[in-house]
Amino acid sequence: MSLASLGGNLLGIVPLGDIVFYLNPLHLFLFVAILIFTFLIAISHTETQVEAEFGTLGDKKQSVGLKEFKARRFLSVICGIATAGAMITGDLYNFTLFMSLVGILNIGIISSVKQIGVLDSVFQYGLIAMMCSLPLFGGAAIVLGACGTVSLLAIQSMKPTAMMIFGAIMLFIGVCGESGIAPFFASKAEMFRTPGSPFLLIVHLSSLFIIIRAIEIVLIICT
Amino acid sequence: MIYVPSTVPHIFSAMYIPAIYTGLIIGFFSLIAISMQKRDIHVLVLTDVVGFAMLIVVAGVGTDLAESFILPGLVVELAEVLAISEILISREMRKISADNPSASFNPMPMKYDMEILTTAPNFLSLLLIAYGVFLTGFTGGAIAGGGILLYILSRKARGLPVFVINGVSGVSGIGWCMWIIAFWIFFVAPQYWLLCLFLAACGLLLKVATKMGLIGVLMREEYGKD
Repeated sequence: MSLASLGGNLLGIVPLGDIVFYLNPLHLFLFVAILIFTFLIAISHTETQVEAEFGTLGDKKQSVGLKEFKARRFLSVICGIATAGAMITGDLYNFTLFMSLVGILNIGIISSVKQIGVLDSVFQYGLIAMMCSLPLFGGAAIVLGACGTVSLLAIQSMKPTAMMIFGAIMLFIGVCGESGIAPFFASKAEMFRTPGSPFLLIVHLSSLFIIIRAIEIVLIICT
Repeated sequence: MIYVPSTVPHIFSAMYIPAIYTGLIIGFFSLIAISMQKRDIHVLVLTDVVGFAMLIVVAGVGTDLAESFILPGLVVELAEVLAISEILISREMRKISADNPSASFNPMPMKYDMEILTTAPNFLSLLLIAYGVFLTGFTGGAIAGGGILLYILSRKARGLPVFVINGVSGVSGIGWCMWIIAFWIFFVAPQYWLLCLFLAACGLLLKVATKMGLIGVLMREEYGKD
């Protein structure tokens, strides 16, 4: 399938040496949208949770210290920027690197909640993210071995071979493991009501955007 | 449509498919082993094996682009192993302190009872540092750093304040600046290539040798205690 039928008309090409960006409406929309969300998350504050204590009339306030708040905000903003980079890039290599960066940052963001249940679930998520680096990098390497290039602009004009389709499917499995499953582990442990909650939303947003982009890339390679 | 240059021997290009099969089979068996394990630490170690299978699959391609896939792949694997083991440690600490609030998590004092640490650490670390300086570059930096590590681990440097060690690590930043300046000159004025080469090699030597966090020395309280 051509690029135009997937993401709209090609608006331009930015040749930076061997890394060639191409701009089309879908990518620009996703890029701008994730940057807006990143800005919203960067200016937001952590939620302070008020817990009613059992047996007494007192309330307990659970707030986040300034240092921890800054660390979480930093991780979330970097995660948003990495997602934006994965949206706009026209190169399978860069996409793979941004994906692994998003995976590590997701681990960091989720593990900043210091509760045993959350740490348990982030441990499981981290194991899956590590296992999925095999299909992620392996799939990208198989596509590279089959096409001789990782530029999507060059790949879209090639006829798909069996190895290219196999590599694309492996890449998609890798993307699912690195980022796609993160919301399941994030929402598993009552995390949206823990102190410091708004920063966890970037985990959901990034996985949503990245799956769309990954499907587009798989279609470019496979058809 | 296969772009293998004619200078590559046939046996190398024929290794590609076996390498991919090897990687995928190793990954599959590691996943089976993970599904049978019960202890978290074993699962973590087996997950690292899957990472090595990834390196096999990527290395099977064998071009320079594949090498540039290997480096981030390796770094990502290392970073995730470190992060997950930290998560595992902090989870276990929290579990233990929930059961027993008075449990102590202070690091154990290091006790080495090796003869080599009392007889010849000066000579050995001097030899390692001299050989590292002779080699220069990344390898030399690692060897010279090993010499510094041996000197710190031996009893000679007991009670060395943390501030001094941090200062030595600060030299690493200056080494990095030398490396960057060398590359900048290399692009701007290529006729001074010999100067740039030595500046980069010595900068990298300084950086790696003095970067003690890189070679595994984290200054905690256990140095200087017994």
